[in-house]
Amino acid sequence: MSNSLQKKKVDSATIISAVIVLALYALVFVAEQIIPPTSMLFTVLKKGATYALVAVSMNLLNGFTGIFSLGQAGFMLVGAYVYGIFTIPIVSRMDVYQYYNGGLVQFTLPVFIAMLLSGLAAALLALLIGLPVLRLKSDYLAIATLGFAEIIRALFQWDKLGPITNGSNMLRLFPTFNDFNIRAADGHVTVYLSTLVPLLIAGVCIGVIILLINSTFGRALRAIKDDEIAAEAMGIRLASHKRLAFCISSFFAGVGGAMLAMYQTTVQAKSFTTAMTYEILLIVVIGGIGSVTGSCLSSFLFVACSEWWLRFLDQKQVIGDFEVPLLRNGFRLVVFSIIIMIVVLFFRRGIMGTNELPDVIRKLQGKGRSSKKGGQGK
Amino acid sequence: MSENVLHIEHLTMRFGGVVAVDDLSMDINKGEIVALIGPNGAGKTTAFNMVTGVYTPTAGRILLDGRDITGMRPDQITVQGIARTFQNIRLFSGMTVFENVLTAKHLRRTSNFLTATFRLNAAEEKRMRAETEKLLREVDLYDLKDEMATSLPYGKQRLLEIARALATEPKLLLLDEPAAGMNPQETEELSAFIRQIKDKFDLTVFLIEHHMNLVMGISDRIYVIDFGRHIANGTPAEVQDNPAVIAAYLGVDEE
Amino acid sequence: MWSTVFPYLLSGISVGGQYALIAIGYTMVYGILRLINFAHGDVFMVAGILMVYMAASGVPLWLCLPLVLVLTAVIGFVIERVAYKPLRAAPRMSVMISAIGVSYTLQNLVLYITGGLNQIYPTIPWISDNVTILGASTKMVTIITPILTLVLVVALVWLINHTKIGMAMRAVSRDFETSQLMGIKINRVISTTFVIGTFLAGVASVLYFTNYTTVIQTSGAMPGLKAFVAAVFGGIGSIPGAVVGAFIIGIAENLIKGLDIILFKAGLIPGPMGLATFSDAFTFALLIIILAVKPTGLFGEKITDKV
Repeated sequence: MSNSLQKKKVDSATIISAVIVLALYALVFVAEQIIPPTSMLFTVLKKGATYALVAVSMNLLNGFTGIFSLGQAGFMLVGAYVYGIFTIPIVSRMDVYQYYNGGLVQFTLPVFIAMLLSGLAAALLALLIGLPVLRLKSDYLAIATLGFAEIIRALFQWDKLGPITNGSNMLRLFPTFNDFNIRAADGHVTVYLSTLVPLLIAGVCIGVIILLINSTFGRALRAIKDDEIAAEAMGIRLASHKRLAFCISSFFAGVGGAMLAMYQTTVQAKSFTTAMTYEILLIVVIGGIGSVTGSCLSSFLFVACSEWWLRFLDQKQVIGDFEVPLLRNGFRLVVFSIIIMIVVLFFRRGIMGTNELPDVIRKLQGKGRSSKKGGQGK
Repeated sequence: MSENVLHIEHLTMRFGGVVAVDDLSMDINKGEIVALIGPNGAGKTTAFNMVTGVYTPTAGRILLDGRDITGMRPDQITVQGIARTFQNIRLFSGMTVFENVLTAKHLRRTSNFLTATFRLNAAEEKRMRAETEKLLREVDLYDLKDEMATSLPYGKQRLLEIARALATEPKLLLLDEPAAGMNPQETEELSAFIRQIKDKFDLTVFLIEHHMNLVMGISDRIYVIDFGRHIANGTPAEVQDNPAVIAAYLGVDEE
Repeated sequence: MWSTVFPYLLSGISVGGQYALIAIGYTMVYGILRLINFAHGDVFMVAGILMVYMAASGVPLWLCLPLVLVLTAVIGFVIERVAYKPLRAAPRMSVMISAIGVSYTLQNLVLYITGGLNQIYPTIPWISDNVTILGASTKMVTIITPILTLVLVVALVWLINHTKIGMAMRAVSRDFETSQLMGIKINRVISTTFVIGTFLAGVASVLYFTNYTTVIQTSGAMPGLKAFVAAVFGGIGSIPGAVVGAFIIGIAENLIKGLDIILFKAGLIPGPMGLATFSDAFTFALLIIILAVKPTGLFGEKITDKV
């Protein structure tokens, strides 16, 4: 959790954190210009940025407000579809909506407007879903949000909505991360931005979430997480604050969905399963429930391991004459599962507990407060 | 008599077949310290929970400064000017002492989530922090402001809970067994503290307590209930001599 | 009209029985631990996989059946001991996350073992036979399922009401702490609950996969969720509630699968509406309605929080 100095002066740890983040961005920019764009590094950074945003948005609910929601995939789906539907170029619509005569929507919005709309659509949906769902207690809320995500998934595949959603067929040919690259007239890329821009989008969104968490509203949300009855007795209206957290979390999940669409280059409702929500939840848990830094770190680690570093586990490896046993397709996920279970059972605080980057720096500076104990939620 | 702050009439609470509070009527005037006492399970906390909106009464009315607050939500009632503490301390465990009190300033905000997120409420935030600092100094917890609330010793946690309640700027403060778990010396200090904040913050205090020394020492008036029903009220001296009260506490049959 | 509806109704009753057997595991575990055992559906799937591999390795079918049931129960026991017992004192969210972790682990293990390919479920004689009932052709398992389900439920209810361990279960589900103080061996009760729940899920897997013929790592997810919804619908913690809920959901889901045809034949819609897309979603809509209107379900008891 952030420091609670009575005067909100910016301390050196915060400045150092900001410098580290900026340096990382600069590094990515340079790397993108000199390393071939096909490198796995960029795949990991793009997907990692997307997952980081979604994980932080989930953490806002689960870690900071104490609402155990499992609807993230549903809000991502809405965001991804809204983005796809409004950005497919008019010339491509006949190809994409081939079974629906080019579809109903016959205009195109700029990418950033469409992303904003993705977030707003998801937030609006959250507002509606929140009415019945947010009154429920922990596990009932979990299962109800999960149920809503499944309903949304079915709805978007419904043939009768095909002119808008393309039914069970995929949306494609919309602008992707690669379209952020600046090209010369001959189509040759002059400045590579396809990794930096998604990282910036995620960074700005996560920055806004951090600002919210550290505002008076963020304190109210944390109070609700710690003790609903006490929070209510302090004059905090539970319903409206929970709704606020739910809508904001969904807004950013929607934006994250749009980013996922850009990363994947195609969108299909059937891929936004409960398993996707579980995966994001597990990322949040590994990073530390209640730590934004943790969610970000764990997203990049998770994606790097699954897409890159642990890929070798899925292939036969022969060292000399010795064939390493067990290694074949799927082993990576088994290793992953074991790691996750170890974290869940033995390291429940995850990588960061409830600490943030400035807290870590402060500790390194020797000013860390030893009394700091992480709240593990209820 | 001075002006009425809390007026309770014919308050009743039924849980299924059990009547926890039965036709309770009370009046508390401005500047008074009034205690509600009774044996375990007499319905004291239930009465508190109705006044603070945790339970909606089955029947009866509750008026604060003449305004009907019956059936309001707990947060609305706090905004109206009633703050409370809990029998089993309920501090925000993930927060420091300072944040605990600061959070209770949230209800007097004028910002919305957008202005607060984008720091357009800097003046308000500054005011909240200044008020919190002042309050913590007044209750002598300022030196501990950066400690995690739940790491404080028990007595300090009780104090902090009262400070947090004061931060909501109440007219009426409800204390649910504030001396529970305290030794005689701490209880003594608590008595002085309650009197002191009553004067300093221009409060009216309504409390539930088992420590008879505390109750008799600081209360202007006492209401006694048993099995949810009012059996006596009056000054500490009057109540102490009341045969019905003695019977209730000693468990003697009333006939 | 009847001849259109009847086959859907029949398979609805059958699937309902299978959901009921899974739902009992959810409802019993929830009753005692207040935990949604997200891995329960995956244990059901693993039971199916066990059968596939055991039959393929040459174990005679008559031996496979009891072995699968016993092994499934052992898996349930082990999961509880490894993944839930260490978190007894932890916040509820941690236990739920652990359950999701177990679900993830089981699915990935099966993915690794099977290579992510559909596994053909062995044909069990007699219950796989085709029969014709009231003009509708179906498998024997369709008729056996509801009967077997009811027999097992009656046996279970008897067990809970008349044996010592059953009484201990009821006591623990009513008040965890007090039961502990009264000297009830909590861990034994919880383990027994998991063993019974997973055993019934094992039975359900035999019936279910005989009907659907293939198993894959995700096969347990949907039936698991639906069975959980059934348990909530009936009032979580109540065994008869779970059974009634499961039959309602099974029947409704299958009727929706055939709704286009049924409505079309009845002349209510001009052409196909693609309503079958919503057969899964309906279950969740039902869940949300029941949670909004009567969160305690059909037979549930109200639990109030203490301040």
